[in-house]
Amino acid sequence: MGIEEKVPEGILTTSLDSVINWGRANSTWPLLFGLACCAMEMIATGTARHDIARYGSELFRASPRQADLMIVSGRVSNKMAPVIKRIYDQMLAPKWVIAMGICASAGGPFNNYAIIQGVDKIIPVDVYVPGCPPRPESLLYAMDLLRAKQRRESVGAWRNVEEPLAIDEIAPLRI
Amino acid sequence: MPLDVAPVVRAYETQRTLNPPGIPALAPVPEGETDDTRRICEQFGEDIVVAGLHNGNEVVYVAPGQLKALATFLRDDPELSYETLIDVTSVDRSHLPLDGEARFQTVYQFRSYSRNQHLTVVADCETEPDSDGASAKIDSLTGVYQGAEWPEREVYDLMGIRFTGHPDPRRILMPKNWPNHPLQKQAPLGGEEVPFTFTWDDPEFETLGSQILPAESTIPDLPPGMSRQNMVINMGPHHPSTHGVLRLVVEMDGERIVSIDPDLGFLHSGFEKTGENKRYKDFVYYTDRMDYLSAMSNNLGYCLTIEHMLGLEIPERAQVIRVIMAEMQRIASHLFWLATHVLDVSGTGMSLLMYATRERERILDLFEMACGARLTVSYIRIGGVWQDLPDSFVAELKDFLRVMPQKISEYEAMVTEAPLWQERLIGIGHVSAEDALGMGLTGPMLRGSGVDWDLRRDRPYSGYEAYEFEVPTSDSGDCYGRFKIRLEEMRQSVRILEQAVDNLPGGLYKSNNRKVALPPRAELDVSMEALIHHFKLMTEGFHVAPGFFYHGIENSKGELGFFVYSDGSARPYRLHVHGPSFNNLYAIDHISRGEMLSDVVTNIGSIDIVLGEVDR
Ligand code: SF4
Repeated sequence: MGIEEKVPEGILTTSLDSVINWGRANSTWPLLFGLACCAMEMIATGTARHDIARYGSELFRASPRQADLMIVSGRVSNKMAPVIKRIYDQMLAPKWVIAMGICASAGGPFNNYAIIQGVDKIIPVDVYVPGCPPRPESLLYAMDLLRAKQRRESVGAWRNVEEPLAIDEIAPLRI
Repeated sequence: MPLDVAPVVRAYETQRTLNPPGIPALAPVPEGETDDTRRICEQFGEDIVVAGLHNGNEVVYVAPGQLKALATFLRDDPELSYETLIDVTSVDRSHLPLDGEARFQTVYQFRSYSRNQHLTVVADCETEPDSDGASAKIDSLTGVYQGAEWPEREVYDLMGIRFTGHPDPRRILMPKNWPNHPLQKQAPLGGEEVPFTFTWDDPEFETLGSQILPAESTIPDLPPGMSRQNMVINMGPHHPSTHGVLRLVVEMDGERIVSIDPDLGFLHSGFEKTGENKRYKDFVYYTDRMDYLSAMSNNLGYCLTIEHMLGLEIPERAQVIRVIMAEMQRIASHLFWLATHVLDVSGTGMSLLMYATRERERILDLFEMACGARLTVSYIRIGGVWQDLPDSFVAELKDFLRVMPQKISEYEAMVTEAPLWQERLIGIGHVSAEDALGMGLTGPMLRGSGVDWDLRRDRPYSGYEAYEFEVPTSDSGDCYGRFKIRLEEMRQSVRILEQAVDNLPGGLYKSNNRKVALPPRAELDVSMEALIHHFKLMTEGFHVAPGFFYHGIENSKGELGFFVYSDGSARPYRLHVHGPSFNNLYAIDHISRGEMLSDVVTNIGSIDIVLGEVDR
């Protein structure tokens, strides 16, 4: 849904890639969306001491339509899962997901009836951040990893992406 | 794939724990009598099954038919005047050696602020077998204490007990198509085993994902009592100003709010069920994650409850360290509240967030010095604290205390007199003292309505009686009053901290009782006995004598209570958390009626909720 739709297929896009990726990697806007304890550290990352603005990501957008990055900051309950899936679907491609903390990555201390054991069961995840909660430095490191990934991407990869990436191969999509 | 709460039964779940003979056991009957129990017995005679003291609390067992009458009497009798119902919870005793007694019990905590009295009432539920295993019922107390509404809904949702006469008997936390009542003992803990394998066609993967409830793509129901004649607006669970994943269904007539129906449970994490499957010492780490803005207070509340049941003496130094941590946490929590409140109300006021988090970071640094963690600290443990304060801690803390008062004044100057701020807060979210008591509000929500009550002063714990501080109250009952109270509370916390650091005694930082508190690391190298104690504590844990106990502490949001029912084994048989955010959030409907939609945001901020604790 981004610029890739406008570029005719078959054009050699290497230079274009680097320009576009430079822009994307330096202005990834996260979704303003906190779930649990990890959200507190996400907010701490946004404040003066850790200053996520250095990454061009200080603009947390409340609307999924304006956000590029979903930081799943906390545990995902059975009741919340459909909501997260819908918010993710509402975000426009290209979009990325960071699973922040062990809960979002794998369920963490809550191996029980209420919590989904990892948000990757419902949406695709680009970077997993270990920790309970991860320190703001860890989240910034995850941003670094994400930027490295973004820089390697080709604009063609996001062409016509409407459905989430092939998550079905990993676990059955249930929502 | 249909929902399967427990696709795999883990081996260790079915293993029987080694228990001494006679365990599990029921809670013993209370003994002795007090003025209040005598008065109640005189009034109700035969209908009081037994009354007396148990674990230091006054406990009354009442026949189920008389529960409502008893509650009315407790509230209205001038000699008793229990104005507030603090908490409602329940126990499923099916795994205890019952001898024809009722399977379910409901447990009520009553509080008289005017007489500084606390009373626990226990009632058996009438149980009848029914299609989903068991269903029990008991009279609802909503007609007597309005605040019983949500706790009773929670008991129904998680335990399956029906309350006759309840005005709104819906589930509150779990999705409405959830198949069971998770806290019943036969309901499995659930969860998934992690498959340690590298091929996708491994059978271990077959159940993967079956724990997720299939989503329904139906239009959400209109909450009862709402009319389609009015505009119904959905707010949340993804909303920047609901402080987390709270969903509010707001019914509006033009610009004015007619009613609000909060939809909770988007962060329900099964703390209570998990706690019942952990050893006592292990639940400390979970308490951090409940109200993640006041982890230290949560640790403290839980540890005090268990220590009281154990009859454990806490060394002087540990008590003072605990007070220091709890008060620092209060300041940190209030700073965060202030920052987000201003951000919500003004919409753009990022500056205060930046300033307030600067001081908060300093507190987190101090936590980090003490225990290595910023947020989920688990520093206060059963028996004392995890380790002694590092040498430079006190100097750093003093440095912080030097600057803090002037920072509070700075923040106060930024907003208190600002006309916009006053316009958005004064007269908004009004709650009268009577309503606050009826709804069971606690903390600044209660003091903001003029009820002069603070557990630290009125029922002191952890040595709070030794400190001099004031309890700010306000008669205005609105958001502005609560705002001022919280600012003043920060000042008073600084005062307590100053006294505490000046009088920090030497000595032990945790109890010397090796049956409960781990021996220090250095001792393990030289003492065989220490090694044995360490091994026993780490594998089996310690046992707590059968019985139950409720203990509340004043955290930054209100009364944080823990109710623990022990069957004598090394795990809590029933563990219930009374979260202040949960009860205070109940007021949102009441205080927002007749106001504008934008005031809802002010009210949420003013109630100061943390969804981790609301949903648990
Ligand atoms: S990973 Fe830890 S800190 Fe983060 S949401 Fe889970 S329990 Fe909370």
